[in-house]
Amino acid sequence: MPISDLAAGESGRKEFLATPEETILVTGASGFVGSRVVATLLSYGFKRVRCLTRTATNLGPTENTVKEFSRNSVELVQGNLLSPETCKIAAEGVSVIYHLAAGVEKSYAGCVLNSVVTTRNLLDAAIKEKRLKRFVNISSIAVYSNENIPRGGLLDESCEVDTKLIERHEPYTYGKAKQDEIVLAYAKKYDLPYVIVRPSVVFGPGKAKITDRVGTDTFGAFLHLGGSNRIPLTYVDNCAEAIVLAGLRKGIEGQVFNVFDDDLPKSREFLRQYKSHVRRFLSIPIPYPAWFFLCYLWEKYSKWSEGQLPPVFNRRTCSVYWKGNRYSNRKARELLGWNPRVRMNEALLSYFAYVREVKGHK
Amino acid sequence: MIRVGIIGCGKVADKHVSQILRVRDCEIVGVCDQEELMAGQLAERFGIRQRFSDAQDLLRTCRPDVVHITTPPQSHYKLAKECLDAGSHIYVEKPFTLTSQEAEELIDNALKGGRKVTVGNETQFMPVARDMRRLIQEGYLGGAPVLMESFYCYDFSDERYAKALLGDKSHWIRRLPGGLLQNIISHGIGKIAEYLQDENVTVLARGFTSRFLERIGETGMIDELRVMILDSHQTTAYFTFSSQISPALHQFRVLGPKNSLIADHEHQTLIRLPKQTYRSYLNQFVPPFEDAKQHFANGCRNIGRFLRNEFHAESGIHFLIRAFYQSIIRDTPLPIPYRDILLTSRIMDEIFSQIRRNNIGSGNTMPSHMM
Repeated sequence: MPISDLAAGESGRKEFLATPEETILVTGASGFVGSRVVATLLSYGFKRVRCLTRTATNLGPTENTVKEFSRNSVELVQGNLLSPETCKIAAEGVSVIYHLAAGVEKSYAGCVLNSVVTTRNLLDAAIKEKRLKRFVNISSIAVYSNENIPRGGLLDESCEVDTKLIERHEPYTYGKAKQDEIVLAYAKKYDLPYVIVRPSVVFGPGKAKITDRVGTDTFGAFLHLGGSNRIPLTYVDNCAEAIVLAGLRKGIEGQVFNVFDDDLPKSREFLRQYKSHVRRFLSIPIPYPAWFFLCYLWEKYSKWSEGQLPPVFNRRTCSVYWKGNRYSNRKARELLGWNPRVRMNEALLSYFAYVREVKGHK
Repeated sequence: MIRVGIIGCGKVADKHVSQILRVRDCEIVGVCDQEELMAGQLAERFGIRQRFSDAQDLLRTCRPDVVHITTPPQSHYKLAKECLDAGSHIYVEKPFTLTSQEAEELIDNALKGGRKVTVGNETQFMPVARDMRRLIQEGYLGGAPVLMESFYCYDFSDERYAKALLGDKSHWIRRLPGGLLQNIISHGIGKIAEYLQDENVTVLARGFTSRFLERIGETGMIDELRVMILDSHQTTAYFTFSSQISPALHQFRVLGPKNSLIADHEHQTLIRLPKQTYRSYLNQFVPPFEDAKQHFANGCRNIGRFLRNEFHAESGIHFLIRAFYQSIIRDTPLPIPYRDILLTSRIMDEIFSQIRRNNIGSGNTMPSHMM
């Protein structure tokens, strides 16, 4: 873990709203990002990190990292946020809550249940905690609409959240947007101190799939849809540190932070490197206007056929994922003092090495 | 115009609502879920005006003609009874009830009140199942079925399903009297019940935990089931549920005295096994080409249905809903006779009872050598 020159050095810690002795809760702690958040908190010196996991009795991918630090610093709580009792136990006496647990199912009901209902339950428990200083809600950049942003235009925290998410036919994003809504509603009603973090596409060892923003293999052959778009990526360790800082920096209540790394690669470049480092395969480049037209036809057919083909490809989704935007991490850098430590080249090599190992290529 | 209410706004409700909206002359007047956020999301996504968190409020306010009950099975009986008492017809998701006694009471209640009831065994109305039913009704088998074989498998390598179920120790499926099996096997047992000659059946069932589940510490969950069913006309049926067979089969074979049929629900293909022999080596040369011709024809039929917009993934549930509503409007026979619902329930009762009996003292797990 390359977090050695930590932002949490002596000078940095003074700016933190929680001391290492205070209890920090991480939900979804055994997940891809959650496990790195736990490791980052430990590396910052926090001594009471409470990890809520639904299934595991250990912290999965970072179990070894956690063992490097004092095991006594980690408290494992196994349970489901659908249970108010679990929420109460998990939230008891905490100063900061990092809420990473989310529904990643294919169904709307599953995503709402495991992202929205769970968040409401956790918030119900959180607002009763007198010591709570911050609730960090992990959302996604997918909730933004780029309808009114031209190709190549800047997508940042000031952009509007999509209000027509149902047309996108994306249960995960719908769940995330509803989760944000409920956090905002609680913040307004109960004066909840919160921060929303919207990571871009999180990549790194632990997740092998090529992001859809580059292309899709749904139809057998790999369709390269990203073209010369910059792919909004954040390396998992960098993302985890941004999330941790969002829970600790003073004076940022109510802020939203998008998380992108520096030097974002173009889709074409990403694919070229992937083929060079992982494996060679055929990819068919599809220009954005052509893909947009195909999505339009798919959407129309889906509507005409009353869903014989579900509207998974549609114009709104096409626009969000493949129109191509510019991204800025200026706000996160300035207000969080965040600096993506793992450079993009290094991050990509680490990811490719992992994929190569998992897929048994080369 | 049929006024429809939905109770239970989880995953299954999506299938119901999307297919109800494709049926003419009906309107969804309200949805209900104990969890208001779940009712809210369903109502918002499908533009349904009224949402409730209490079933009685839905029944009182909306007075639906039909209520679809799409809650976990533990609540089916109570909710179905409330709906019948309120004067609604009911479509209950599978499994119909937890026990056959509950099933009998509900159907008795419906008959007394002049209401109608059906159960969500929609796989019996997928195109291939309808084709098979038509051929059997036309006498293709050459008499009553002699033997049936039903495979209904589940693939635990489907990580999402396995994670949801295996990772959540309090999942409602675990609390069913028949566990995982109770939530799944009614599809396969229902197909058999339809073609059994009478209700006087003998059931022999053995259930056990697969080595796979044992290895991951899930020794309390039975995911392998073998059943033999015999009616008093000597019609015999074998039912297999497995989480370990690959590929996960969803097949139903009906073997008759003259010809036989194999329906593959996964691929929506129906293969006829006609009694036809050729001389000498021709008997090995010709039939494979005839089989190939049948598979080719099945492929063409499926493509044709797709092009005619008749091949929706949920076409079974759509057909069943439409047939049920027609039965209500025109007072015609129900798509699933009560006899089939009750027989399926009784067979399932017997299966779970035998599994419980056989597994007492064996730590919930039936050793494989006892099979």
